[in-house]
Amino acid sequence: MKKAILYINQFFGQIGGEEKAGMEPVIHEGHVGPAMQFAKEINAEITHTIICGDNFMGSNTEEAVSRIMEMLEGKEIDLFLAGPAFQAGRYGVACGTICKAVKEKLGIPVVTSMNVENPGVEMFKKEMYVLKGGHSAAKMRADVKAMAKVANKILAGEEVGSAEEYGYFARGIRRQVWREDGIPASERMIDMLVKKLNGQPFQTELPIPKIDRVPIAPAIKELGKARIALLNTGGIVPVDNPDRIQSASATRWGRYDVSNSDDLKGGEYKTIHAGFDPAAADADPDVITPIDALRKLEQEGVYGSLHPYFYTTVGTGTTEAEAQRMAKEIIPYLQGDHVDGVIMVST
Amino acid sequence: MKLEIGNFYVNDIKFGDKLSYADGVLTINKEEALAFIKQDERITEAELYIAKPGDKIRMCPVKEAIEPRVRPDGRTLFPGYTGDIAKCGSGVTHALKNCSVLVVGRHWGGFQDGVIDMSGEGQKYTLFGQLNNIVLVADTNEDFEKREQQKKNDALRRAGHKLAEFIGSCVKELIPEETEVYELPPMIKRGEEVEKLPSVVYVMQPQSQMEEMGYNDLVYGWDMNHVVPTVMHPNEILDGAMVSGSFMPVSSKWSTYDFMNCPNIKALYRAHGKTINFLGVIMSNLNVALDQKNRSAQFVAQIANILGADGAVVAEEGYGNPDADFVGCIVALEDAGVKTVGVTNECTGRDGQSQPLVTLDEKCDAIVSCGNVSELIKLPPMETVLGELQALARDGLSGGWADDEILGPSVKEDGSIIMENNSMFCGDRVCGWSTKTMKEF
Repeated sequence: MKKAILYINQFFGQIGGEEKAGMEPVIHEGHVGPAMQFAKEINAEITHTIICGDNFMGSNTEEAVSRIMEMLEGKEIDLFLAGPAFQAGRYGVACGTICKAVKEKLGIPVVTSMNVENPGVEMFKKEMYVLKGGHSAAKMRADVKAMAKVANKILAGEEVGSAEEYGYFARGIRRQVWREDGIPASERMIDMLVKKLNGQPFQTELPIPKIDRVPIAPAIKELGKARIALLNTGGIVPVDNPDRIQSASATRWGRYDVSNSDDLKGGEYKTIHAGFDPAAADADPDVITPIDALRKLEQEGVYGSLHPYFYTTVGTGTTEAEAQRMAKEIIPYLQGDHVDGVIMVST
Repeated sequence: MKLEIGNFYVNDIKFGDKLSYADGVLTINKEEALAFIKQDERITEAELYIAKPGDKIRMCPVKEAIEPRVRPDGRTLFPGYTGDIAKCGSGVTHALKNCSVLVVGRHWGGFQDGVIDMSGEGQKYTLFGQLNNIVLVADTNEDFEKREQQKKNDALRRAGHKLAEFIGSCVKELIPEETEVYELPPMIKRGEEVEKLPSVVYVMQPQSQMEEMGYNDLVYGWDMNHVVPTVMHPNEILDGAMVSGSFMPVSSKWSTYDFMNCPNIKALYRAHGKTINFLGVIMSNLNVALDQKNRSAQFVAQIANILGADGAVVAEEGYGNPDADFVGCIVALEDAGVKTVGVTNECTGRDGQSQPLVTLDEKCDAIVSCGNVSELIKLPPMETVLGELQALARDGLSGGWADDEILGPSVKEDGSIIMENNSMFCGDRVCGWSTKTMKEF
């Protein structure tokens, strides 16, 4: 029989509530809490249950993950389950974090479940099967069943059907499928057309994502007096990448002092962006973050002055949500220094 | 305008002494047909085969598909292309149904050519896997394009259209088993009962992006690159006014067979008088430059408005760059107050994670989606190959490759293949056949 391991938090591990949220991870042989219901639903033996406090995972993430990875070492695992986490934010993020680590480091398929309101959904839905769960533990049975449906497909070595069919958050993957009802495009077209003409609800087959357009800011009136800052998504960092910005799907950013610099030199700065050939940017980082040209223009009085830091993240694969969060974190630094305009360099 | 298509259903095809049709059996005198094809001196080598559903046959590189037909009154089948200009869309045409003439290169393929399997896992990927096909496998002396990735395939495609008419001639004098009647009176003379229904135009965007002549779809023999959007009667499209070209990655192609049988037009006809008033077709095009795309979109929207259209359906023969024409046209129509449905395929990449169309607009809120051009397809070896399978790997077919670090070559030594859907001959069937759709995973 195939083997699975379940991750749950202190509450569902029957250790305690908020007062126990700091507990370090432990592993039990056999079934604790929801593991019992999973054992009934999935075509695998749940060999172990891991319990970890939500706060410990949240505040000591690396430590928690590495300890759990040690616990898993040498164990026979065909599938890793976490949750369901419902609307509990810290728990959801914890489930996503440990699932991601298990998937990436051990190459084992993972399944979790969260409510749409859970911040873990946005953070992890593209990387794993996150089932659309209920608000609270009242939905435990249904959520476990839904996780088991996906888990059993994976355990059987079969392809998991569409997000709509299996009830998980779409992972940003669109594939062609053959309609079981065999209804041709021409008939679907007529059906959609007549409904649209008559003001009835209809379902498009290609949902267009809402585009969050940012209006173009008014022009700077007196450029000669303006304070300008330089930002980039091209991954230019000091060679040791002190902020450990990821090469793709970035969630981190950094700012680097150039108040005493007229030129960014290869060997001192480089790009950690994984989406283009880095040779030119590594040889001369100014091609992305043109500090040299900006200093010259500053001396010529084309604009007023340069903000003393440039700001970096990596654009490739980075979600809009993460990009917005990073921008909100960066903006106070710019406002604090009365920056009038920003040059945003992409790649 | 009234068009009567007299149907003769082909259940079997045989080679025999005399070109004839009787009791569902089409008999072809092979030598006579080949001699007819070789009248074009450009054809250097030609052979005919029969490929029926279930046969262990794979075809590559497939260039064109045509339904065999003939007009009893002597007008040519494709006016302006196979003969003199004549009216399309009215009168009587006789058609051999469940049957197509396929044109396959003996050796050389190109970007725009494709694959058809008649059985096994690959059969479902094209309509032609389900038809009784007369397959012309031929080579030409068009050496100027032998090694070109983009081929006009002029001699081969013309041979196919002429052969379709040649074969169709066997039912010229016969009485059809059934007759389909397509009749739409002038737009402003339809009577109160019909005119109270919401009125709809079908906007077609056939392929016309090549600036050099010889590659694009034709209307009455005229290159669609030279056309600004115009109004046509749907019967004209069903009756040989349109001839397919030789340009687009082939899963997006509308073959001449597709134009002649266009399911979207037939579906609009069926709804006419019941739920809609089908005004007719706005024949648009696909362009390269942005001002050309915008010009066509404005033409379409303006024509729809002056015709009084409440709704429109836009279908594109292509993906990638033409998505800009497609989306632009839908946006122009919506801005002009015309409620619009789009029919297209998508390009979401082999991993399904790319943006589905090159440009998107929230006004495109009603899309019928017919497939992913870049879906990877693996198929086992096939007993018989018509043409040259290596063309898929060697000749730059849009869904094939000579080598790949991970996947290896498209054509394996044992005759199995790995390819992108891009090279499935007319595989995405945006003209309306598609039973595929796109789902989120």
